[in-house]
Formats: sequence, structure tokens, C-alpha cells
Amino acid sequence: MIGVSLSRWTMSYFTVALLALLGAEILMVAGFGYPNHAVFAPQTIALVHLVAVGWLSLLMCGALIQFVPVLVAKSLAHPNLPVVALILLVVGLVSLIVGFLDMAGLSVGSTPWLGLGAIGIAAGFALNVWNLGRTLWSARPIGLPARFVVLGLLSLMAVVSLGSIFSASLVGWTTNDILLRLTSEGIPLHAALGLGGWLTFTAMGVSYRLLAMFMLAPEDEHRTSRFAFMTGSAAILILLIVGPTCLLILGQSVAHPMLIALGLATVSLSLYVQDMRRLYRTRRRLKIELNARMAAVALGGLGLGNLLLLLVTATGQTDRRIGAVVFVLAFGWLTGLGLAKLYKIVAFLTWLECYGALLGKRVTPRVQDLVNEPRTLPWFWLYFLSVVAALAAASLEAPIAFRIAALGMLIATAKICFDLVSIRFLRSVPASMLPEGDRAWPRLFLPRLQHFQR
Amino acid sequence: MSDENALVEQVRQALRGVIDPEIGFNIVDIGLIYDVAVDEGGIARITMTTTTMGCPATDYLRSGAGEAAQNVEGVHWADVRLTYDPHWTPEMMSSVAKEYLRGNR
Repeated sequence: MIGVSLSRWTMSYFTVALLALLGAEILMVAGFGYPNHAVFAPQTIALVHLVAVGWLSLLMCGALIQFVPVLVAKSLAHPNLPVVALILLVVGLVSLIVGFLDMAGLSVGSTPWLGLGAIGIAAGFALNVWNLGRTLWSARPIGLPARFVVLGLLSLMAVVSLGSIFSASLVGWTTNDILLRLTSEGIPLHAALGLGGWLTFTAMGVSYRLLAMFMLAPEDEHRTSRFAFMTGSAAILILLIVGPTCLLILGQSVAHPMLIALGLATVSLSLYVQDMRRLYRTRRRLKIELNARMAAVALGGLGLGNLLLLLVTATGQTDRRIGAVVFVLAFGWLTGLGLAKLYKIVAFLTWLECYGALLGKRVTPRVQDLVNEPRTLPWFWLYFLSVVAALAAASLEAPIAFRIAALGMLIATAKICFDLVSIRFLRSVPASMLPEGDRAWPRLFLPRLQHFQR
Repeated sequence: MSDENALVEQVRQALRGVIDPEIGFNIVDIGLIYDVAVDEGGIARITMTTTTMGCPATDYLRSGAGEAAQNVEGVHWADVRLTYDPHWTPEMMSSVAKEYLRGNR
């Protein structure tokens, strides 16, 4: 199989993910969670999971079910399994958040919401990991970008396992000493593997290929890319193996493995940024598109987040400042990159749905004709400037200023979402180039199954 | 120019009506068409590639090239073969396509 099909459920994942992002930003504007509440307050943990699972992980899963087949030139092993996974993930996430609200004092009955949430989320991710894992396995030997994804999926399994243990402990389903110890001291491992191993390392792997594709840059494998993979993998394996060993066998804290992993991750990220700079420098598409320009800004967010993490670790202010660092990594880096790539991917998928079958039969627009970059660009700038303002407000412990900055993020995100909907409805396409008849028009977020039957 | 060569040129011209949607330029000038031949029986044999192996647009590009070729008078059927040997590189683009990507068109 050389060509791969359109993923049927990617747009559904993207839609739910964007709703979760908008929901999280509304909560931040309302003063819910960090910095109005403590970093480890149930409100903050609910918000963090809405962002990490609802937004970032669903976005990543939606992208992977479309692009892992592209990375390895094999069709997805089970094309319809992602919709079952999505339902489980959404139900699990809602239960988990209700469980955290219960911990925050909001009475929601005696149902063990946290435990049920963990079961739903673990089952949903397990189905996606199985599906993507089988696809990758069938394509051995795999290239470097796909190997990043494998390590990312391994991290995801670890994150979900730790999260499930935490939930089981918190609802009283286990009183095992080892699991309770993991629950009380394993949160840094859970967070680092989630934000670093799963979300960042996977995004790195996918961006090696996607940015090269979209900018027409040479995809040659460089020594820096291999070292970035090796050092990043070493960081993940230290978190996975040495962290729990220190905690459970040696009876020590996870501080030392975390420090070593941070050092290795910094080397990996530096090499990755160097590779990305080379991609931008050697691109054939000189007129740079919005998605690539905003991805570069997001890379700046990654650099800033890593620098701040080193700084707060070196000055011993991790407990006080970690919230701001996680904020810039989640919103400056991952969300910035996610929104930028969505702008391109949604247009590309919409084009394939509407015009793929018309190629050779009539004049078709370009993917670029589906977007209106000058209209959307200012809102990306508003988004990034608001993130910087919110970071400054969080660092200065000014909650009101943070909420005002979060409002800027919310307005910008809402407008970008509106523009994504406009892309789906072909609002920028000249009338003469609109597809004829109802059948060719896309649905907003559900597949027209007959489009995908070959 | 012989009739056969004229027909090959007409097929190439028809293929210029098919664009790579992502790059936004026709597949001939991008360098995706490796070879075009037309048999005596009016069968167009096209060898082509895509910019990326595994691209979701691959099947559409292939059938689009076939549709365009079959619309040429004298072509009764088009046999479109995909190959990744050699892999496409940006160097394969014509000067017109390179100019387009520099943003000058």
C-alpha cells in the first residue's frame, strides 16, 4: 500500500479537542485553577487534565491516526477503532473532572468518579496505542520520526498507568503500600512523562516530517536528529525505570532521576531546535505559510519553557514556580504548535474530502485557496502575546492580570476556531471553484463514510 | 513531430491541468511525472510519483492523472504506475515551478 486513506475520525478528535481548549480557557478567565488556586489544588488538577487529556492528547491522537500511516506508508490497522477510543476518552475525562470537583468540595454523589474516569481514559488510550502500535509494527523497519512516536506512545502508557494507580489510591480501591508511595511521590514522573515524553517527544517526531513536507525542505537524516532521539529516549527511559526504582526500591525521592532526565532532555531539545532551524533555512518554499511561521513562534515557547525549567530547578524554586513553567510549555509550545498545524491540516483534509475525487476532471483550487491567512494571522499574534502576558502575570502572582490575559487567549482561540469552521465550509474558495452538488461538501466534524470507501 | 510524439505532448499538456493541492502547482512542472508514452492502441502509460510516500492525496493524484490523460483525443485508456524509484526531490521541479515557490508568481 503506497497511498494511505483519509482518517475517518481525525476531524472528530480535533473538534472535541478544540472544545476542551475553549472550555479550559473559559475556566481560566473565570479564575478557576492555577494561579487563583494552588498548583496541587483539585481545581488546578481538573484544569490540567482538561488541557492535557481533553485538548492536547485528543489533538495528538487525532493527528497520529492520520499521520502515523503517512510516516510509515501503511494504512491504519483498524480504521474505525478511534471512534470507540474517543467515546471512552471523553466519558473517562468527564468522570475524572467530576471526581476532582468532588475533591474540591462540590458534592457529586458517592460514585467513585476518579476510578471510573481512569478506567475510561486508560481504555481509550489503550485502544489508540494498540491501533497505532500495530500500524507501526507492520511497517518495520521504521524511520526516525516514527521512532519518536514509538517512544511517545511508550510514555503515554506509563502516564496512563501512573494516573490509574493514583486514581485507584484516591478512591480507596487499593491500600497497597507501594502504590500509595507512588501516588504520594510519583506526580513529578507522571507530569514529566506526560508533558515531555508523550506530548513533546511525539510532537518533535511528527514535526520532523510535517514541517519538511509543508516547507519542501530536504528530509535527509542528520546526526543531530539521531542524537536528539537518543538523548530524548534516554531521558524518557530514566523517568520510566530509574524514577520508580529510586522511589520504590532505594527509598529515595525522584529528584535525582528528574534532574538527569532534564539534562538529557535539554540536550535533545537543543539538537531538535538546531534541526528545525536547518529545515527552515533549507526550505524550497520561500514564501513561508502561516502554519510554519507560527510553528516557529511555538518553538520559541519550547525554548523559553525549557530555559525557565532549568532556571527554577537551579534556584530551587520548583515548588513555587513550576505552575508558570508548565503553563508556558502547555500553551506557548504545545498549544501554539497545535493551533498552527491545525490551520494547515484542517485545510488539507477538507481539500481531500471536497476536491480529491475531482482531480483531473475539472479545475480545482489549491489547499491555500481554502484559507485566508491575512484574516487569521493577527489572532495568532494576539494568542501568543496573551500567553506571554499570562506567563508574566502568573510569575508576578497577579491573578487578576492573569485572567485578563487568559481572556485574550480565549478570544484569539475562538476566532481561530471560527476560521477553522470557515475552512470546513469552503468560505474562502471562489464561487467558480466550489464543488458541485451536496455530496462533495464536508460535514463539520463527522465523516461522510461514502467519501472514504474505495 | 510524429503523431505519437504529438499525442504524448498532448497528454503532458492535459496533465498540466492536474495540480498537487499542497504545493499548488501542476504535477508536470513539479516533476511528479517521470514518463509518458502512448501505445499504438491509444493506451497512455504514465509513470509518476508523489512528493511524499504515503501521502493521503496519492490515490487522488494517480486517478486524477489517469482522468486527465483519458480526456485527450486519441487516448482510449490510461495506465498510471506509481514509483518511488527515484524518490522525488525539489530539484526535479521545472524553473517555472521553482519560481512559483519563490513567491514570484
